[in-house]
Amino acid sequence: MDLESFYEIDRTAEFILSRNFARVALQFPDDLLKDSTKVVRALRTKLASLRASSGEENRGDHDVGLFVMADITFGSCCVDEVGASHINADCVIHYGHTCLTPTSTLPAFFVFGKAPINVSTCVNNLLHTASTAGQPVMVLFGLEYAYAMLDVRKAVLEALLSYESQAELEIQFSDVVCSVLDPSGKSGDSCGITELVGVSHANDAVGVQSITRHSTGGLVWNVPQGRKVEEYSMFWIGSENAAFANLVLTFNGCEIVRYDATEDRLVTDLSQQRKILKRRYFLVEKAKDANIVGILVGTLGVAGYLHMIHQMKELVTGAGKKAYILAMGRPNPAKLANFPECDVFIYVSCAQTALLDSKEFLAPVITPFEAMIAFKSGSQWTGEYVMEFRDLIKLSPEEVRKPSEEARFSFLQGGYVEDQNLDGILAPLGLDEEDYEGDLALARAAEKALSLRDRCPNSVVKGMAKSGAEFLAARTYHGLDMDSYSSSPEPFIVGRTGKASGYEDEKSREKD
Amino acid sequence: MVKFTADELRRIMDYKHNIRNMSVIAHVDHGKSTLTDSLVAAAGIIAQEVAGDVRMTDTRADEAERGITIKSTGISLYYEMSDDSLKRYTGERNGNEYLINLIDSPGHVDFSSEVTAALRITDGALVVVDCVEGVCVQTETVLRQALGERIRPVLTVNKMDRCFLELQVDGEEAYQTFQRVIENANVIMATYEDPLLGDVQVYPEKGTVAFSAGLHGWAFTLTNFARMYASKFGVDESKMMERLWGENYFDPATKKWTSKNTGSPSCKRGFVQFCYEPIKQIITTCMNDQKDKLWPMLQKLGVTMKSDEKDLMGKALMKRVMQTWLPASTALLEMMIFHLPSPSKAQKYRVENLYEGPLDDQYATAIRNCDPEGPLMLYVSKMIPASDKGRFFAFGRVFSGKVSTGLKVRIMGPNYVPGEKKDLYVKSVQRTVIWMGKRQETVEDVPCGNTVAMVGLDQFITKNATLTNEKEVDAHPIRAMKFSVSPVVRVAVQCKVASDLPKLVEGLKRLAKSDPMVVCSIEESGEHIIAGAGELHLEICLKDLQDDFMGGAEIVKSDPVVSFRETVLEKSCRTVMSKSPNKHNRLYMEARPLEEGLAEAIDDGRIGPRDDPKARSKILSEEFGWDKDLAKKIWCFGPETTGPNMVVDMCKGVQYLNEIKDSVVAGFQWASKEGALAEENMRGICFEVCDVVLHADAIHRGGGQVIPTARRVIYASQLTAKPRLLEPVYLVEIQAPEQALGGIYSVLNQKRGHVFEEMQRPGTPLYNIKAYLPVIESFGFSSTLRAATSGQAFPQCVFDHWDMMSSDPLEPGSQAAQLVTDIRKRKGLKEQMTPLSEFEDKL
Repeated sequence: MDLESFYEIDRTAEFILSRNFARVALQFPDDLLKDSTKVVRALRTKLASLRASSGEENRGDHDVGLFVMADITFGSCCVDEVGASHINADCVIHYGHTCLTPTSTLPAFFVFGKAPINVSTCVNNLLHTASTAGQPVMVLFGLEYAYAMLDVRKAVLEALLSYESQAELEIQFSDVVCSVLDPSGKSGDSCGITELVGVSHANDAVGVQSITRHSTGGLVWNVPQGRKVEEYSMFWIGSENAAFANLVLTFNGCEIVRYDATEDRLVTDLSQQRKILKRRYFLVEKAKDANIVGILVGTLGVAGYLHMIHQMKELVTGAGKKAYILAMGRPNPAKLANFPECDVFIYVSCAQTALLDSKEFLAPVITPFEAMIAFKSGSQWTGEYVMEFRDLIKLSPEEVRKPSEEARFSFLQGGYVEDQNLDGILAPLGLDEEDYEGDLALARAAEKALSLRDRCPNSVVKGMAKSGAEFLAARTYHGLDMDSYSSSPEPFIVGRTGKASGYEDEKSREKD
Repeated sequence: MVKFTADELRRIMDYKHNIRNMSVIAHVDHGKSTLTDSLVAAAGIIAQEVAGDVRMTDTRADEAERGITIKSTGISLYYEMSDDSLKRYTGERNGNEYLINLIDSPGHVDFSSEVTAALRITDGALVVVDCVEGVCVQTETVLRQALGERIRPVLTVNKMDRCFLELQVDGEEAYQTFQRVIENANVIMATYEDPLLGDVQVYPEKGTVAFSAGLHGWAFTLTNFARMYASKFGVDESKMMERLWGENYFDPATKKWTSKNTGSPSCKRGFVQFCYEPIKQIITTCMNDQKDKLWPMLQKLGVTMKSDEKDLMGKALMKRVMQTWLPASTALLEMMIFHLPSPSKAQKYRVENLYEGPLDDQYATAIRNCDPEGPLMLYVSKMIPASDKGRFFAFGRVFSGKVSTGLKVRIMGPNYVPGEKKDLYVKSVQRTVIWMGKRQETVEDVPCGNTVAMVGLDQFITKNATLTNEKEVDAHPIRAMKFSVSPVVRVAVQCKVASDLPKLVEGLKRLAKSDPMVVCSIEESGEHIIAGAGELHLEICLKDLQDDFMGGAEIVKSDPVVSFRETVLEKSCRTVMSKSPNKHNRLYMEARPLEEGLAEAIDDGRIGPRDDPKARSKILSEEFGWDKDLAKKIWCFGPETTGPNMVVDMCKGVQYLNEIKDSVVAGFQWASKEGALAEENMRGICFEVCDVVLHADAIHRGGGQVIPTARRVIYASQLTAKPRLLEPVYLVEIQAPEQALGGIYSVLNQKRGHVFEEMQRPGTPLYNIKAYLPVIESFGFSSTLRAATSGQAFPQCVFDHWDMMSSDPLEPGSQAAQLVTDIRKRKGLKEQMTPLSEFEDKL
């Protein structure tokens, strides 16, 4: 496939010109970075020729500024708005795989790329699945196959027509939300999220009636009323990537099969994916035992991220736990292990980067939805799974938190545990303020009196300390030791120079 | 049955000298429950109102079906002693009415946690021993447990009917058998010398041994016969009792007592002459329906039969006659009342075992004096499912003070540390309840010395707890119970319908509560795990879970799995090194196995993180040959800071080492919990930090760099030190007749078990076999064994130790490698072990 069509140069150029953008950021993921210079060159030529043809000479020699952005701070599927704003870009052209999460400040244009697909085998597999499923089939696909969907649809329709005997086959197609995203926060509402209803096509099978709208990973589809998503079989065209993992998690009640376009075969064994859901369940149970929670800022672009961070913070403190907000780019084990006091991390990010397999991490990393289940009293794991912010925000009505009557049962410890309550020491004992005045005052006071603390460094172990300060106090190493005996000033010593990776005086050592 | 109203029962509860709390303990199938039933039939307290529909002990359907007791049940008995029999009683008492709170406990080893819970709240124990089978494994185990709790035992030699009907042994032989049984029991008891408890051995001539036939409902102690003969011989009862046991012979021809068998044919041992023979004679007469002979004999004994009973024939007649002549209840209850301590007496010496705090504070004093006016001290030993599903009664014993309806109590859980807030709640008791037969009656309050059930605390108590008054903030809890079995067999459960998950979660919570031994947890893979003591235990748990706690929602269980441990065989073949992610820090480590016995010492808590370093280094250097200085350089234990692995600092002169200690410890806790082979816990590994090279700049040697590195280097050193799997091993005890031995051996061989002791029980055709059996092979062992021995052998399995599997898990195709693969598959890990090269770095 040639560069022009793969990167949709024509369409991109038209988009830029139609909106009169002057500074445009081109965001490349690592694997496409090698083509970036060629793309810029092609785009520039195209823009120039287009402008020449339309005769817009009067704008002078004012040229469109194209900037290549790479090595994105967070997941490469999201639009890096912060990076783009460094160069005062008017819009972002995003190449490659994307999660199509709404942006908050900049308009974005998406180029999905085109991956090769064998339409006929794909259709055959699809028809086979539809005939054996006994359920309506919903076709979903990786965005890199979006270009081929028209052909697939056509082929399916033809096949269905020739199939007359079995008219029962019902196949629906999902649609790409759109390839242009405008920031939704313009109106400045607190939520910053409005339904993305801009571009939607009527579905093949359904007429106009009340419908339920579902979306995942940039795809939307409608389910007519009176029918549940669980009644559909899902047919996924694409590779086993984060988008697919999300699909399996979110619609874990559905039958799902995957057509692998690169290997050209149908994959029906999804036990590995199903295991992910159970693993997430374990993480939720584990999170319930946490005392200190780190909230990782995993995005600065996804609309509603600030709202979500605040919501998480309230949730955590409301559950009587301590929350710390950490911004560190893409998390990795080494980075997170710098905060050994955190028992669990909540990763606030776009849906497709949120699922981190935290096996190699010292503490588990969970999604905001899982945090809601873990920290909101009375909520239960029902199997429902929500990834996207906008669904999550809808999910959390401001219900009145009733104090839980029962002590919490921890499956990790196999017994009842008591949750710490930071805002009132009295609360866990179920005492009223009056008790302080009454005859118990002395007893209470005695209870608070100094007692010999166990000096055993138990708090260094996860899950014992209740705040970062307490954790640090329990460490055996508290920083530099002051030598109390010699108070006389020491002569100054010349420090090291050079970079941390190799100081100047170390150079020789590194070589051997 | 005794009909009572709640008020009447409550009244006796105040007489603390007239209460006996006791448990019935024995080996499985020695007839505890049958014996208990005969007591209940005679003296069980039931509510006046329900006297119509009398039911004996409330057994579960599955208990009846299997013929074994699963849950311990508490029954209150009432007995009024005659003045005559109380003549010799020297202890304190209030009147002649006695309240006996009896707890019938299961004999099967899988349920011995129930026994533990029962022992905690009782002061005396009736040890039931089958006169033919003698003292068995479980008898010994529970007896030791009882004595450890300072429970005073009395013994009953049960199934006497077998002597007369089945074996038809003659008097002298029977005497020898009984004597041996009693001796065997005394051998165990003699090892518990306790100045406060006094001599705990049992003597027939002192009345602390009864002879009973639970099935036929009769029993006697030598007191019964002594009383009968004392007047005849003109000696006092105690003198007579001595004559009825031991080396005392009587010759009716000469009417003389001798201390040796004179050899004359009419000279017989006192016991045989005056106890065994008369019983035998009555039984034979009854069985042969020689009624003309029987009635005069009975008349001589002062036994009067009702007219309709006179029509009975054979066995039924014999039963009836024996029950009327030597009622089991009288003999056993009098023995208990005479020889078992009242709460006020028992708590004087039990306080040391019970109370964790200083023994001179007000709580200890109140417990010691069994003071109803003192502060409340109550130990909740178990949670009993209530009839309304999902709720539990907290069942326990009041050691001092009174617990009343509406009282606000401080609940101190097993993890409570005085002065801290952990595991502590203040809640009100909604209702205090006492059991009257099957029925629960609410009472205003329950004073010390009694057992009680409370409503409204179940949400704050998992398994057991100490309760005290709300304002008693300086009270220490009562010591937690120690269980003699450990949950080593596990199954994963999931619900058939995914949407039943909340039900399953709720059910597991309740299951965990209802059984002190079961552990409900969750695996990394998200599977719910139920761990129990044995196959039978798990089976019962699963049944309870599905039927009682989940309302019948269907569950799917996996095959039983056992947990393994990872260890090393020898010292690492080389010092391994791992670099931190930024390549600027290097950790050098070696692994070596801990000295033999050291892991067990850590398990038992003899060596632990909280020890005084001096004391610890003393034990380590004297018992395990450690270098004294090295013993001081233990950084930590793990997993969970107390586990049987450790990190020792062997470095010399490393800069900033103290700075990374916490990070290494954190990495070690993590790694020792999930070993490199199959992410099972490590056991018995000592990691030696050999050298450390750190970046000069503090920011580059922070936790983020060191923790993951410490984990990697620990894995690397484990993998270079010949890693091995440890599997749990049961100690199996089997009792069977000689002809079954062949079958036993073949089954054991087939299951990788090995016999290490085979002993014939003196005087019986029975053999006692002790063997080690890997837990993983034990599934279905009981049934296979029963099939192979036509039901003659019954095994008792208790977890004993961890055994190293000799095959190398790193060698592809070996048995251990296969196991590792299976475990990894089950846990949802990559099937291939992570290779050493992933953990070890090269310079």
